[in-house]
Amino acid sequence: MNLLATSINHKTASVELREALYLNSDVIKEYIKNIKGNLFSEGLIISTCNRTEIYGIPINKNAGHLDLQNTLLQLKSVTGLTNDHFQNFSSANAIRHLFSVAAGIDSLMIGDNQIFKQVKDSFQLAEENHFAGFLMKRIFDSAVKAGKRAITETRISEGAVTVSYAAVQLIGKIFSSLNRKSALIIGAGEAGELAAKHLSEMGIGKMTITNRTLERAEKLAKILNARVLPFSDFKESLHEFDIIISATSSDNPILTKEDVLTSVKKRGYNPCVLMDIAIPRDIDPEVRNIDYAFYNDIGSLNIIVQQNLLRRKEEIPKVEKIIDEELSSFLNWYNSLEAAPAIKDLRDYFELIRAEEVDKNKNRFSAEDQEKLEIITKRIINKILHYPTVELKKFTESATNGDEAAIKISIVRELFGMNNLHSDETSKKQKES
Amino acid sequence: MKNVIDISNFIIPVLYIISFGFYFYDFMKADKKFLNSKRFFLLLTLVYHLVYLLIRTIEFDHPPITNVFEIFTVLAFAISFSYFILELVTDIRGTGPFIIIISIIFQIISSAFIPDVYQVKEVLRNHLLGVHVFSALLGYSAITISAVYGFLYLILFNDIKLNKFGLVFNRLPNLEVLERLSYISAIIGFILLSIAIIIGVIWLPSAFPHFSYIDPKLIGTSLVWILYGLGIFSKIFSKWQGKKVIHFSILGFVIAILSTIVTNFIARSFHSFY
Repeated sequence: MNLLATSINHKTASVELREALYLNSDVIKEYIKNIKGNLFSEGLIISTCNRTEIYGIPINKNAGHLDLQNTLLQLKSVTGLTNDHFQNFSSANAIRHLFSVAAGIDSLMIGDNQIFKQVKDSFQLAEENHFAGFLMKRIFDSAVKAGKRAITETRISEGAVTVSYAAVQLIGKIFSSLNRKSALIIGAGEAGELAAKHLSEMGIGKMTITNRTLERAEKLAKILNARVLPFSDFKESLHEFDIIISATSSDNPILTKEDVLTSVKKRGYNPCVLMDIAIPRDIDPEVRNIDYAFYNDIGSLNIIVQQNLLRRKEEIPKVEKIIDEELSSFLNWYNSLEAAPAIKDLRDYFELIRAEEVDKNKNRFSAEDQEKLEIITKRIINKILHYPTVELKKFTESATNGDEAAIKISIVRELFGMNNLHSDETSKKQKES
Repeated sequence: MKNVIDISNFIIPVLYIISFGFYFYDFMKADKKFLNSKRFFLLLTLVYHLVYLLIRTIEFDHPPITNVFEIFTVLAFAISFSYFILELVTDIRGTGPFIIIISIIFQIISSAFIPDVYQVKEVLRNHLLGVHVFSALLGYSAITISAVYGFLYLILFNDIKLNKFGLVFNRLPNLEVLERLSYISAIIGFILLSIAIIIGVIWLPSAFPHFSYIDPKLIGTSLVWILYGLGIFSKIFSKWQGKKVIHFSILGFVIAILSTIVTNFIARSFHSFY
C-alpha cells in the first residue's frame, strides 16, 4: 500500500517549532486545495499543539517524504527546521503510527483522550473538503476502532495526569456527593479555570469564583454558571465552602493558617479541602496541620500525577497488542482487494451457490441426469464469470496506481457481499478455534 | 448428621478463607476479575454456614448459643452476613477482606474447640432466649463492622493527610462513604442491641432466679448501647461529622470487647453458662 506520512511532534521538535507549524482549520483547507490532485489523491491532516501530521496516498508512485515536507514548508515558512525534526512513515508503518496517535500512546500525556477527538475532527475536516476518500475512510475507521478499544479494554486513560485534575480526583476521595458541596475557586487564570471546569463536570453543587480582576471572574462564572465573590471579601465567607481551590499568580500567600483555622471553627469542625495549585503557593502549608482541613499543594498532587503516568505506561504493551490486531485486520482487508484473491473469492462464492442449489434439487433428476446437471451448471457459472474475471485483471493492469484498482475491486466485493462472506468465514473459524 | 457437622467444622473456615482470597485478590489487583463471583462465593459460604447452624440445632436439640465456641461460629456467620447485606444495599464491594478476616478468626477458633453438647440447661432451649442472644450477636456484629469501617476511615484519613497515595488510597471508597457505612452499621447495631436489652430486661428476671441488674454483662452492654445512642444522637442533632463520630464508634467497639472479655472470662454471674 502506497501511503506516506510525515510528522513533527513533541518527540522531535520544540514547542516553538510545533507552534510555527501549527495549522488551523482554515490553513488546512487551503493546504488541501494545494496538494489534492497534485501530490495526493486522498489524505488526512492532523494539527494540534503537540503535533502536525500529514498522511496521504500519492498520485505519483515516485513521490516521497521530501515532496511532502516541501509542500508543508511552502505553506509555512519556518526557519531552523532540519530533517531530524520530522518522523517519516510509509505503508503499514504509517497506519500503525496513526493508530498509536489515536490510541493516545504517542501523546505527550500518555493516554490523552483529547487526541482521539482531535483525530476525529481532522478526519471530518478532510471529508468535508473531499480529501478523505475510500481508503482513508477505511484507515480512519480502523484507527477509531483501535482508539476506542484502547480506552475501553485497557487502563491507558485512567487516573489524573494533570495537577488540576489530580486536585479534583483527590477531592473525590474525601467527599462522595459533590452535588451537595460548595466550592470556591480563587484565581480565574488557566489553572483555576481548568480546575473549575473539572469540578463542574464532576457535578459540584455550588461554585463561586473570586479573582483580583472582577471581570475575569465574571467571564468564567458565566461559562460555568457560578457565583462571583469580590476578591476583597472572600476571606469572610471562607467557612461557607467545603472545597477551596487556589490558583492565583500572587507572590505572597493569600490564606494564612489563622484564616483557615477561623473558618474551620466557624464550620463546626466539618472537614474542608484546600487545594493549592499555584506557584508560588497561595496557602500557608502549615494549614496541613489543622485536623479538619485537608491541604494539598502542587508537590503532593504531582505524586498522584506521576503514579498515574507510571500506571498508564504499564498499559502501553496492551494497547500495542490492540494496534497490532487492528493493523493486521486492516491489512487482511486491504490484501483482499488485490485481483487474484478477489477473482478466487468471486469464483468460490458462485461455486458455493451453485453447489448448494444443485444439492437441494438433484433428487428431482435421475442418476444419469445428475451428472449432466453438474456439468451444465458449472458451464453456466464459468460463462457468467468469464467477463468479470477478465475485467478484474484489467483493473490492475490499467490503473495508474494500485489503490485505484483496489477501490474498484472493493466495489465488486461490496456488490456481491463478498466482504461479509469473508468475515463470516473468519468468525466461524475463530469460533471453532 | 454428626459426621456432616464434623466435616463442616473443617469446611466452613476453608470456605471463608477462599471467599477472603477472592475479595483480597480484587482489592490488590483492582482488575475486577472476581467482581461478581466473589459475592456469589460469599453467598454460597453463608448458605452452607446457615445450614450447618440449623443442623447443629437439630442434632443437639438447642440453638448454638450455649457455649463461647458456639457463640463464635454464630458471630462469624453474623459478621459476614451483615457485610453481605451491606454490600448488596450499598454496592460497595472493595472492603470485603477487612470484614471477612474477622469471620475467619472467629470460625477457626470455633471449629478448633467447639464441643458436642447434648445436655444443656432447660432455660437455654427457650425461644425468647434465642431471640435475645441472636439479636445481641447480630448487634455486636454490626458494631464490629462499624468499627472496621471506622478504622479504615482513620487509615485513609491519615494517608490523605500525609500524602500517602498507595494501595489504601487507590482501593478504598472515599471518606464520606466509609463514614456512612460505619454510621449505618452503628444504627443497625444500636437497634439490635436495643431489642436484646428490652427482651433481657423484661424476660430474664422471670427466667433466671439469680437475675441481677448489676450483672457485668448487662452493665457492659448498656454502656455500649448508651455510647452508640449518644453518638447517633450527636450525629443527627448536633450535625457531628468525620473523625468525631468515628472515634465514638471505635470507643464503643473497644468497650464492647472489654465488656465481653470481663463478663465471659473473668466475672461469674447468672449470665455465664459455660
